[in-house]
This record gives sequence, C-alpha cells and structure tokens, in this order.
Amino acid sequence: MFFIFSFITMLAVSAADTLSAAYSDLWQGVSGPEQGNVVMQAMASQGLIYVVLGVSLIIWFVLIAYLVRLDKKISRLEQKLPE
Amino acid sequence: MPKISVWKYLLILWMTAVLVAGFLIRVPEIPILYETSRNLFFHVPMWFTMTVVFAAGLIFSIRYLASNRMRFDTLAESATLIGILFGLCGLLTGSLWARFTWGTWWTFAEPKMNLSAMALMIYVAYFILRSAFDDPEKRAKVAAVYNVFAATTVPFLLYIVPRQLPSLHPGADGNPAFSDLTAPELRLVFYPAVIGFIGLAVWIIQLRYRYVMLGNRLERKEAG
Repeated sequence: MFFIFSFITMLAVSAADTLSAAYSDLWQGVSGPEQGNVVMQAMASQGLIYVVLGVSLIIWFVLIAYLVRLDKKISRLEQKLPE
Repeated sequence: MPKISVWKYLLILWMTAVLVAGFLIRVPEIPILYETSRNLFFHVPMWFTMTVVFAAGLIFSIRYLASNRMRFDTLAESATLIGILFGLCGLLTGSLWARFTWGTWWTFAEPKMNLSAMALMIYVAYFILRSAFDDPEKRAKVAAVYNVFAATTVPFLLYIVPRQLPSLHPGADGNPAFSDLTAPELRLVFYPAVIGFIGLAVWIIQLRYRYVMLGNRLERKEAG
C-alpha cells in the first residue's frame, strides 16, 4: 500500500516540477497569491502552513456536518419508532 | 425538527480550536522531528482515546454480566468497535510518522509498535468471537467475559511492557512520554486535543449504539 503510494508520489514529482519552475505562467492571467489581496497574502505566508490548515479544516467540517446530519436522522427515526 | 445536544456543538468548536492551534502554535525546533512534533496533537490522542474507549467497553461488559440487560452488550460492542477504529488511526499515523523520523514504515524491533498492533488483534478477535454465536444472549455473555480478558491486556501491552524495553519511541526505556524531546508548551494543545478526540469518540459510539437499538426495536415491532 505504502509502496504504491510512494511510487505514485515519485511519478507525480517527476512529471511536473512546479516547485522550481514557474508553472503558473502557463495559465494566462494567473498571478501568484503573493500578488493577491490581504487574505491571499496571509495564506501564502509561513511556508504555506495555512493552506494545510485550510485543507484539514475543510475535511473536518465536511465530516462533522455529516455526523450532525446522521445524528438528526437517527433522532427522527427514534421519534417515529417509540419504544 | 430533531436537535442535537449542546455538548456536540461545543465539541465542534473545541476541536476546531484544537486543529487551528495545532497547526499554528509555534513549535520548538527539534532535530529529526521539526514540524512533525505537531503530530503529538493528533497521533497520541488516538491511543489515549482508544484506551479510554476500551476501558468504557470493559465497564459496559461488566455491567452486562451483572444485569443481563442487552443494551449494555450493545454499548460494549459499539465502544469496542470505535476503539479499534481509533487504534487503527494510531497505527497508520504512527507508521507514517516513523517513516520520516525513524526511516521505516514498520520495524519489528520496536516494542510499542508491535505490542499495540497485538492489542488491536486481541480486540479484532472479540468480533470474530461474536460472529460465532447465533443466540444473542449466549453471544453477549461470552463476548462480555472475553472483553474482560481483552481489556486487562491493554495496560500491559501499551503502557507497562514497552516502557521496560529499549526503544526509539518516546515513553519507552524507562523514559516518561514527555521528555526533553517534547517541549512543555506542546501540552497546551495536546491535553485539549485528547479531551476533544475522546468527545468525538463518545459521539460516534452513541450514534452507532442508537442505530443498533433502532434496528432491534424495528425487529421487535415486525415480530409483533
């Protein structure tokens, strides 16, 4: 499993070097986040740790929204099916 | 419109704060670890939560044996299932962390790794044992007795034996888990994270328990 994962990672790394080359230039009109507004500038700072936090928070909120929905659905069934 | 309990909203806020703090708090520059010292907030609470949840399962199993009420069997089963889930997360996150700090996904020379995997297998056997019985009463009774045995292995496999053996894992070889390697300010996020993850586990156990109880209720209704 991990071998497959690392193999895919290796492939992805060798396919496009977006870290040292300005890959974003290939899209016309795209500018780096460091030229964006204050929020985008903050997101691009500190070695991009805020982007990782953002990704994690998205996953967390999606999972928690699902748990809340599930909880409410079970409550509804419990009301429909009293002991 | 059904509502969810207030503590669940508080838990969501609490865990969100833990996540934000866990990513953004300044961590000390520790060689080998670097930013991965943040994993302390996520990897270690998996094991704390698993231990607490398995302990709760033990209490439910004992209460089943004392009362013969099926709801305690379902509670013990739900707690054990979610405990295994958290234990798996602990194993997987530990393996990934080990790859980038110890240089290997898995090593059989590491007692904590292998003994925690063994503890999980003992709990997997709980479900294999359950599947061997058709009679719910008999299944509940044998499973509860087995769970008492399984739970008593956890302190030894996870906490006592690994600390007596030489190991790379913090908390081994007679060292406390919080040594010079783990700076004191990390505790500020670590303990709230433990509380948050335990709360999350309680929520998931409760959902699973209510779902099984609903199924039983429906079955009784259909039977007349």
